[in-house]
Amino acid sequence: MKPGRLIAKAMLALAGFLAVFPLLWTALNALKNNVDIITRVPRLMFSPTLANIGYILGRDSVLTGLYNSVIACGIAVLIGVALGLPAAYAVARYPNRFAGDIQFFVLSLRFLPPVAVAIPLMVIWLQVGLYDTLPALIVTYSLLTISVIMWLAIPAFQAVPKEIEEAAFVDGYGAYSVFWRIALPVAARSLVGAVAFSFVLVWNEFLIALMLSSSNAKTLPIVASELSQQGMNVPWGILNASVVLLSLPPLLFLGVLSGFLNSVFRQKKS
Amino acid sequence: MRRRSFLPVTFLVPTLAILLVLSMVPTLYAIVIALQNRELSTPGYSWVWFSNFADLFLDRRFLNAVWVSVKWEIVTVVATMVVAIGLGVLMFEVAGPRLRNFYCLLFIIPVLLPRVSAAFVWKFAYHPLYGIATYPYRLVTGGLIFDPLSKASTALFAVASVDVWQWGLFFAVIVLKLLETLPPQPIEAARLDHARRWQIHAYVTLPMLKAPLISLMFVKMIESLRSFDLIYVMTRGGPGVATETLDMYAFSQGFIESGKVSYASAMAVLMMIATVITFTMLWKRVQA
Repeated sequence: MKPGRLIAKAMLALAGFLAVFPLLWTALNALKNNVDIITRVPRLMFSPTLANIGYILGRDSVLTGLYNSVIACGIAVLIGVALGLPAAYAVARYPNRFAGDIQFFVLSLRFLPPVAVAIPLMVIWLQVGLYDTLPALIVTYSLLTISVIMWLAIPAFQAVPKEIEEAAFVDGYGAYSVFWRIALPVAARSLVGAVAFSFVLVWNEFLIALMLSSSNAKTLPIVASELSQQGMNVPWGILNASVVLLSLPPLLFLGVLSGFLNSVFRQKKS
Repeated sequence: MRRRSFLPVTFLVPTLAILLVLSMVPTLYAIVIALQNRELSTPGYSWVWFSNFADLFLDRRFLNAVWVSVKWEIVTVVATMVVAIGLGVLMFEVAGPRLRNFYCLLFIIPVLLPRVSAAFVWKFAYHPLYGIATYPYRLVTGGLIFDPLSKASTALFAVASVDVWQWGLFFAVIVLKLLETLPPQPIEAARLDHARRWQIHAYVTLPMLKAPLISLMFVKMIESLRSFDLIYVMTRGGPGVATETLDMYAFSQGFIESGKVSYASAMAVLMMIATVITFTMLWKRVQA
């Protein structure tokens, strides 16, 4: 083997190592007692403990945060599906002269700096008495989920072969049943990826949740960041355990999302 | 049959109406607040029109935040694209199909993490005494202390490295997929002309991918605007104001330090105007 190739392989391996090692190390630290973490030489061998994870799962604030995150993100994603998918289908299959503008408008929502949305919304929710409640968070997150799902679903619907839909029309299906019974099932694989992506996006969201909640509606990222605000007095193991808990749900979608990426690029190729 | 259906109306109008309301109400309200003098501590307010904006331009901390934001944007976008293209090409050159799939899976993991998690992971790693990332330095120097997050000269780069860790690796996967969509003939032709491997990429494949790579950079520029979570967790804008970006400064003016919501909103409005204009222009150029 040529030395250049060997170096290239080594660099790739190093990058792969860097991609996951910090996370694995965090997971390992979540199983350590404090004495095994606060060492000048990192320790690989130690007697594992479940105390950190037990502590995290036993805290009310963490459980409330988990509940809030699941409810707020879950409902926002459902709203995004209910409103975003039909709209995407209409843009993809019934081209009109506004189609380009609509797509640009949906994308431009992503340009808005989160602070610029969060500050006025905080004032508005305070005025209508919904500040620090889940409904306020859900409505705000829906803006994110609807626009992202719509943006990603338009190409997914465009990739459905037109002939199948035409055939269904000839068979006497109405426009709506073509959407329900043909387009949705055929595009399902890509659509699941789009929906999973929108879930990860709102699950990971931090700034808006930070500004729109003070005690009742805190989501998991906020709770986790607050644990660290108590300085380094909090045992590191507990902090690491909370990071692991926060990171698990998005990682569950790893398979779905990498499949989604593959299908997007396979379409391009053909 | 298609043409006569009301489907586009019933499917599009409610969604677009809701999106318009949800986006325009806060946007317009942000402008309204920016023209007043609201503070969180006092309920009353009056109209001060443009004095918040005038104050901003005399505020040295604001000007610093603008500069930090610009630096952040440039550093993260450039580093992400370099890492992505470098690793994408490496995978394309030396990894077989199975190894490619394996690396792709690994490289997607960091970007899926919540920014807060990624920030914590690296905050621990960069700890001067107990961090895993600073351990090699301690080992080599015999226990000297290196604290990247609390030195003004390195803090921004240390935080930016986390952003690149998340996005650069992810984009490497996309670059690889883009390379895989290219037709093999031009590459073969270049090889027959005795072009070296790097020459093939520099002069043949990457120029062929110019349009998608520019789109990719555009996406990264938008995502780089969301630096807040990383900076909030890792440095809080410190040391001093070395990593205080615009959203961090707006947040601390509005919430942590003084509760000057109107002043913070004026900043947010300026950011909004700048980004909307810049990205609209860029988008039109990318599309053209």
